[in-house]
Amino acid sequence: MRNTLLVAMFSLASTTALAGAGHGSDGSRAADHTAIDRTLSFEAGDMWFTPGKLAIAPGETVKFEITNSGTLEHEFVIGDNDEQAAHREMMRDMASGGGHDMSADHHGGGHDDAGNMPAVTIPPGETATLVWTAPHDVEEVEFACNIPGHYEAGMSGDIQIEG
Amino acid sequence: MIKANQTASPLTRRQVLKGGSALGLGAMALRLSPAWAAPWGQTAAYPQGTEQGPNVSLAIRRESFPVAGQSARPISINGTSPGPLVRLREGQDAVLRVTNLLEEPTSIHWHGLILPPEMDGVPGVSFAGIAPGETFTYRFPVRQNGTYWYHSHSGLQEQLGHAGPLIIDAAEPEPFRYDREHVLLLTDWSFEDPATIFHNLKIGEGYYNFQERTVADFFADVERHGFADTAAQRAMWADMRMSSRDIADVTGSTYTYLMNGQSPSQNWTALFKPGETQRLRVINGSAMTYFDVRIPGLTMTVVAADGQPIQPVPVEEFRIGVAETYDVLVTPEANTAYTLFAESMDRSGYASGTLAPRLGMTAPIPVRRQIADRGMEAMGAHAGMDMSGMSDMQGMDHSAMQGMDNAKMPGMDHSAMQGMDHAKMPGMDHSTMQGMDHAKMPGMDHSSMQGMDRGHMADAASGRTDGMLPVGVAQPGSRLDQPGIGIDPGERRVLVYRDLKALRPWPDRRPPGRELELHLTGNMERYMWSFDGKKFSEVTGPIHFEKDERLRLILVNDTMMEHPIHLHGMWMELENGAGELIPRKHTLNVKPGERLSALITADAEGSWAFHCHLLYHMDAGMFRVVKVA
Repeated sequence: MRNTLLVAMFSLASTTALAGAGHGSDGSRAADHTAIDRTLSFEAGDMWFTPGKLAIAPGETVKFEITNSGTLEHEFVIGDNDEQAAHREMMRDMASGGGHDMSADHHGGGHDDAGNMPAVTIPPGETATLVWTAPHDVEEVEFACNIPGHYEAGMSGDIQIEG
Repeated sequence: MIKANQTASPLTRRQVLKGGSALGLGAMALRLSPAWAAPWGQTAAYPQGTEQGPNVSLAIRRESFPVAGQSARPISINGTSPGPLVRLREGQDAVLRVTNLLEEPTSIHWHGLILPPEMDGVPGVSFAGIAPGETFTYRFPVRQNGTYWYHSHSGLQEQLGHAGPLIIDAAEPEPFRYDREHVLLLTDWSFEDPATIFHNLKIGEGYYNFQERTVADFFADVERHGFADTAAQRAMWADMRMSSRDIADVTGSTYTYLMNGQSPSQNWTALFKPGETQRLRVINGSAMTYFDVRIPGLTMTVVAADGQPIQPVPVEEFRIGVAETYDVLVTPEANTAYTLFAESMDRSGYASGTLAPRLGMTAPIPVRRQIADRGMEAMGAHAGMDMSGMSDMQGMDHSAMQGMDNAKMPGMDHSAMQGMDHAKMPGMDHSTMQGMDHAKMPGMDHSSMQGMDRGHMADAASGRTDGMLPVGVAQPGSRLDQPGIGIDPGERRVLVYRDLKALRPWPDRRPPGRELELHLTGNMERYMWSFDGKKFSEVTGPIHFEKDERLRLILVNDTMMEHPIHLHGMWMELENGAGELIPRKHTLNVKPGERLSALITADAEGSWAFHCHLLYHMDAGMFRVVKVA
């Protein structure tokens, strides 16, 4: 019941975002059978996300539309700090093994190999989507790009789960 | 000179320093250190002491004040040595007035800046120099941003501290974020007169390498320093198993390595708040010393090289050649101190400071590594240079080569090496070298190697018909994926040149119209350093670049030492295998035996200096003028 209320509220609040969405192809797995409460458009550049802070209600299903306005490939991964650090470590190890070139082989657009973490990669100049439902049991998660060096150079932000 | 000799031992000097600190001499030195080295960095509370552009006046003096807590006579700039931070902004028209209060001519070169040739500050090339008592006004448009430095280009003045950091703030947001910044200017200070150092090197290269010293030297030292000091000093060098003769020609036996003008015991401190991202602008402003920089406990993310942004690379250590700059980000989370550690490449000493949440804290100084065996490395490099161009030679048994008598190699005369008969290498399996012209093997020397048809080799690799490698491809014989001598890449993640990638291609994407090959040459025994075997005093004219041509400069290091090669006035785009995203640099480290290349757009009309940035190598003749017309 609480969720229904929230959906109603956010539908009102995000009319513009919804209006802009849905025309492009939707690559997310969950899209077909999950009702999307709201669409959040934001930007990934070299080396930043904007906005850097998001607030999402527990249980809310959000479609992220991330446009890569930079010249390099980026990813958008959601997880807690430890998960992000572990993923980052893995990405770095893979990079050092293969001549440090992450961008082409490993990612190649579409779904990101970030284990159980919700993730998507975004080639430069393109827009990618990710549908995600905020959990009830945590208050804050981090979003990040874990391509080696990108997180350290500034590509991270926080999602406050509240409401 | 007698005074200088008394202070030549690092051990006794450090003992003196400890005493000095106790007497408050450390604080005295602190007062005289540049204000930009303020603990809270630049963006926060202490902008004073920075000479903020676009209008800056700098006065050059010779002054008596302590360096590393000991009396000295450095060259000061506006009262500090090293000089103040000159801070400009991209888009400004800078007006820099330099007044010479020395008794000899001086100059300032703005290292890494693209500017009109008459503003470049090289006496005899750009202008006449600045006579005693005179003021020269440099005027140039600032059309770039990043971390650079400035220094005297007159004689050996740079060795006396005539240098300082130069930062250009970006007009547009940079491709990384940080909360606070600190400058780390690394220098090598000597209490000996620079002319004495040069004289000593001329008498015998190896003068500053105790390994080479004899029993007679020992008794001479005893006479000068007394038995205890001499014995302790020898024991120290013996403990370190020093054989640095071929790693660096001027070492910690005369140098005190400084971070922002302060010795390790003075412990320059940069302050941070836990969780903040710090941008460290690391500048190697030393005369002769390569450093290996690390901060135990922290990962450094390299975001710029030679002032130019690169795709970020997380590393635990990086080697910085003389005159290079690297910008790194660190985010210390813990409320604890970290050591900023810059170990000299020859392991004869280090510069250090502390990154701490408050003043007065220290962290452990890492154990210094042992010196590597140069002979082994240089030989490997040599073999690599000769043969990597011939991809068919993979069957060669390298392990057999390592069975050679390496012990004898460090002392080997390089010129003799060029005549080396490869056929005599024990254990080398010639039969597997399929692509090689065996007819040329017997008695093969390097001169005939260089005369080989490299174009043919390139064709095989690239399919091109004009005999040149494609743009951005690393030269056969480059070692851009190796961190260099004395570093174990398995120990921690170390930056290599191959890691450097631009964020986007540089504007000129033309392939090179021609190739220009230059050999870095030297005779160590006579301390002669040159390009293509000719000292600057022996060449008849400049190297010509045609205005607006795009060319490939190929550097081949025929010596057994690293050389940081600096081109004034134009960028060098280092062909490190990154294709369109090759990085651009003002100074290229060329390893012993290495062959590497850079693309150059010759758009800067005029005469420019081109030289090895090891001060005494440049002075000895490893210098040319490039004329763009």
